[in-house]
Amino acid sequence: MITIKQIDSYIEKIPPSPKVLKETLSLLNQGDLVKAAKVGKEDPALNAYLKELINKPIYGFRNEVNDISQIFGILGVEKSQQATYNYMISLLSPSKWKLFKLNKSSFYDLQAQLSANWQKITEHLDINDKDIQSAVSLLPASIIVSEALFCEKLEDVKLLRSVDEIDLNTILQRLCKMDLFDICQRIAQKWEMPENIAAIIQASSGVKPSQDETINTLGKWMHLLLFYTLSKPVFIEAQLNDFIDFQIEYVTDIYDDFSQLMEIV
Amino acid sequence: MRAVIKDGIGVFHPQGFLDGTSSAALLSIEDIDATLKSNASMILVSLKKVIFFNRNGLDSFVKMFQKLRIANHIIVGFCDYDKKKYDAFKKFYDDDLSFSLFQTQKIASLFSSSFKEKNKNVLLYSEDKSQRAALAIELHDNGHNPVVAQTEEEFLQKAELKDAYDAIIENTFLGQMGQKVATRVTGNAIIYTVSSFLDAEIGSTFNIAYHNNSLNVGFRLFIFDAYKVVSMNIHALNFFSKLASSSAEYNATICFVGMSFSKTPISFKETLEDAGIMFFDQMDDILQNKELLDELGASSAASGKNKRALNKVLVTELPNFIDATVATIEMMTNSKATKDAAKVDKIEIADKDDKIASSIGFYGDIDGMVMLVFPLGIAKKACELLIGESTDDKEMILDTLAELVNIVGGKVKTLLADEHISVDITLPRTYHDVDGLLEVAEDKKGVQVDLSFDNDKFLFFLTR
Repeated sequence: MITIKQIDSYIEKIPPSPKVLKETLSLLNQGDLVKAAKVGKEDPALNAYLKELINKPIYGFRNEVNDISQIFGILGVEKSQQATYNYMISLLSPSKWKLFKLNKSSFYDLQAQLSANWQKITEHLDINDKDIQSAVSLLPASIIVSEALFCEKLEDVKLLRSVDEIDLNTILQRLCKMDLFDICQRIAQKWEMPENIAAIIQASSGVKPSQDETINTLGKWMHLLLFYTLSKPVFIEAQLNDFIDFQIEYVTDIYDDFSQLMEIV
Repeated sequence: MRAVIKDGIGVFHPQGFLDGTSSAALLSIEDIDATLKSNASMILVSLKKVIFFNRNGLDSFVKMFQKLRIANHIIVGFCDYDKKKYDAFKKFYDDDLSFSLFQTQKIASLFSSSFKEKNKNVLLYSEDKSQRAALAIELHDNGHNPVVAQTEEEFLQKAELKDAYDAIIENTFLGQMGQKVATRVTGNAIIYTVSSFLDAEIGSTFNIAYHNNSLNVGFRLFIFDAYKVVSMNIHALNFFSKLASSSAEYNATICFVGMSFSKTPISFKETLEDAGIMFFDQMDDILQNKELLDELGASSAASGKNKRALNKVLVTELPNFIDATVATIEMMTNSKATKDAAKVDKIEIADKDDKIASSIGFYGDIDGMVMLVFPLGIAKKACELLIGESTDDKEMILDTLAELVNIVGGKVKTLLADEHISVDITLPRTYHDVDGLLEVAEDKKGVQVDLSFDNDKFLFFLTR
């Protein structure tokens, strides 16, 4: 169905991150918001993306925010970096979604919801690491990867699922000994994203707990957050709910904390 | 979301958070329709991967359960939960539990009249006295040996001896149960379940088209699970006599298991025996007796009446059949197929060693059957994806192969539906070796296509 060859050619096709973006990111990394905004201005697509993102209801601004320096100012260093990573991931997203019933706007919504809630979680866990806060931005990449690899095989996957409960991640793992999260890791490497981002993403798959306790805890929270977000009606209708397997045992110990934080009654 | 149906039990696997808004999105009207039309004898919703639910979230499933119960009279309920969730159920629905609750899917399968689970020693406990009794009766009816603990202390004490029991049941609740004429397949016998009063109704509830096509595909043993039959009248007697004589043309055997004649005239039994129907007390008398099973279920050459020529429609659709087969096996094995030769003649298998075979029939606007002969290697490889590991257990490979052929059948069905040809498919029949298949297919003319997958020879045969 899907061969190692296809995966290789997919990874091959991932473009290197644009120069302007790299520079913006490195400036953000140094904490220089003003310069970062100045460089960022040169990329109109980034501008448009950030504008759309910041004006989503989840950020709750009463007036429309337009200017990139203003946006970076509002977001602060960490969130700006996260938003820029989000933009990078969105560059990978297909123009027309076939497997998952998503579109540009609902995909941005997904990114925004994950980011905003991840922010809550890192605050709750008292973590002030820029890289960790950006980690969540790579998560939607796993969705893009499965879209790219599986969109032509949708009927096959459906038939397979009708005789056994197998998710996309397991199918890929059994066929190619490589899963969606491994591919995400490769993307992260190609884009020279910090290493622990990929490590957290791997842990968040729920099937590969990390040896490092901090990373493991973060992976748990992210796994639960992913499922919390994917259980929303929009994303169920987009068929994202059954794209990977939910590992309930992996997250039971943090569930109570999580439900308090997300105010689930 | 659709249910995964296996051994007559359909299971939904919702994930994550189940609340009013999300559960409505999970279950569309089409999904409910598809479930209603499925042949499952039990529909369950597994909560294994659900971390949060509330009453609104459950309600859309419960509504579907009610529809299913009314339309199909089958067992419906939830499974795979812990004590906390069980208590939540009790709290949400209080006295209004019209569905069942099974602690695990395995426990649920003890209550389906599934053939695979028989004669299990089961320890059970429920606080509710009438539930205790109901559980014990149902288990007994399904051929198990229930041990009922009367108090919680007794239960905990007995439960310590884990090895003494095949299953331990607690936190389980039986809603109203129901039965219908259902079809299930074990090895190569087809099991129909009949219950309560058998009268003229059986003519309309029994799926005769399905039965005839199963005969056509090569099934030769049909078992009526009649444990729950109260009595039979003259109309049903007539029906079964006719069924027996029509099956006799195919050399097929019909058996009744567990039928009691306390409320049915014993002369009926004699009449049925004259018609060639056999009676057994226990399902195990047949299913555990390998020799008898082989003797009764062994395929034998079908009667001459069955020889039908390929027709034009079938040949026109041939590419669809081959595409479906090739695509499925390519998908399951991750290898490329090449077509070696094609001809219209009787089936011809060059090398019979290390091969297993399977056949599946289809009927409706067009009818016929597809036979596939697999080298063991391909079969194993194809099954790896479904099982998740490689195995040498031939029974397991054959079982998985049946599922694979089912996928092929499903694919054919969709491909034909695209051309507005509507067909239904029978259950797949599997053969340990090529000789078994040849007994059914030897005299039939059909289209034979030789394919190779990475140098493994694979044979496709389409006939009527």
